[in-house]
Amino acid sequence: MANLKDIRNRIKSVQSIQQVTNAMKMVAAAKMRRSQERMENARPYANRLQNLIQDLLPDVDRSSLDLLNAREVKRIAYVIVTSDKGLAGSFNTNIIKIAQADIDEFGKDNVDLFCIGKKAGDHFKRRHYNIIEGHVNFWNELSYDHAIKFGNGIISHFLSGKVDEVRVIYNYFKNVAVQELSVEKLLPLTFDKQQKSNIDRIYEPSKEELVKSLIPRHLNIQVWKYLLESYASEQAARMVAMENATKNAGEMIRDLKLEFNKARQASITTEMLEIVGGAEALTS
Amino acid sequence: MAKTFQLEIITPESAQNLGQITYLRAPSIDGLFGILAGHAISMIALGVGEIKVENGNEISYWATSGGYADIRPEGVQLLVETAEKSSDIDKERAQTSLKRAEDRSKNSEMDQARARGSIARAKNRLNILNR
Repeated sequence: MANLKDIRNRIKSVQSIQQVTNAMKMVAAAKMRRSQERMENARPYANRLQNLIQDLLPDVDRSSLDLLNAREVKRIAYVIVTSDKGLAGSFNTNIIKIAQADIDEFGKDNVDLFCIGKKAGDHFKRRHYNIIEGHVNFWNELSYDHAIKFGNGIISHFLSGKVDEVRVIYNYFKNVAVQELSVEKLLPLTFDKQQKSNIDRIYEPSKEELVKSLIPRHLNIQVWKYLLESYASEQAARMVAMENATKNAGEMIRDLKLEFNKARQASITTEMLEIVGGAEALTS
Repeated sequence: MAKTFQLEIITPESAQNLGQITYLRAPSIDGLFGILAGHAISMIALGVGEIKVENGNEISYWATSGGYADIRPEGVQLLVETAEKSSDIDKERAQTSLKRAEDRSKNSEMDQARARGSIARAKNRLNILNR
């Protein structure tokens, strides 16, 4: 039978772990809500921008828009969005597993990587993949500037002709319990053919120039969306993981308390027996 | 009473409705332009610069890093990547980002066009801060 003091110490340490996991759960919940709010806020801008492009595209010669033109795909760039920190269940492992499988299928040497978040960067650096850009330690102060920065890097890599397609692997935030792993093609962009809009408007500068400047901005907002989705998913995954950890700690504490009480009872019983035995020895 | 029109400033991080205003001045790519109520329907690209919003005697200034002005009969929507009101600009942050951008432009390996862009944006923020 374990001794009483040991069990008491274990209970104490499990309790303090439970406190930490519980706190982490609350923090993750708050961050997740914040990220969801930002997703909501980005929607009007994204929608208006998309409408504008679709309004203008039918009037513009597509061949002049390099970001829209599909080329024969010889090299691909993958943008892999993971978190910087762990303790979020299988959030990062899943994404890295899928990314690795996809990349190896296409051929490691024909793939360039943009690793967003520490986890993906570490994993692929260790395995000597071709990393073009790695971004770490920004999630806490995530702002739209980051989306612009990452977006510009991706666009210039694509426009320089080093890759013929850009794909993004990230966690899509469906709801708190479900995050779906998603692989999307980012470049070249595809837009549905639209009917000519018949709004009579003054355009300044020309429609071509407008579309040319609209498309990179559209990409930036896409990148922003990926970042937010991933961040919300990360926090949701962490929340669930920490919720489970807290629950498990609770169970552990219950078991330990039971064991503790048993040990206490046992020691009382032995003491009683000793006293009774001693008293009997005196009377006889 | 001057005629008024609706103004919305939409950025990726927020959508703000500024209500009815009398005059808007914004930086197009090749110069400032002003809008009063009843402007022709148009779509104008904006560059880095200052947005001035007038409502009678109330005047506010905003720093923007570029976007679009969508002018319609019912009002104006500014679709911009950033819009910071002069009173909300963080001076220290603007100064550090200017310094960072200048350092970067001295480093010949960095993308010069990008560095020049960030310098222009940072300077713009500092100018409007002093409004």
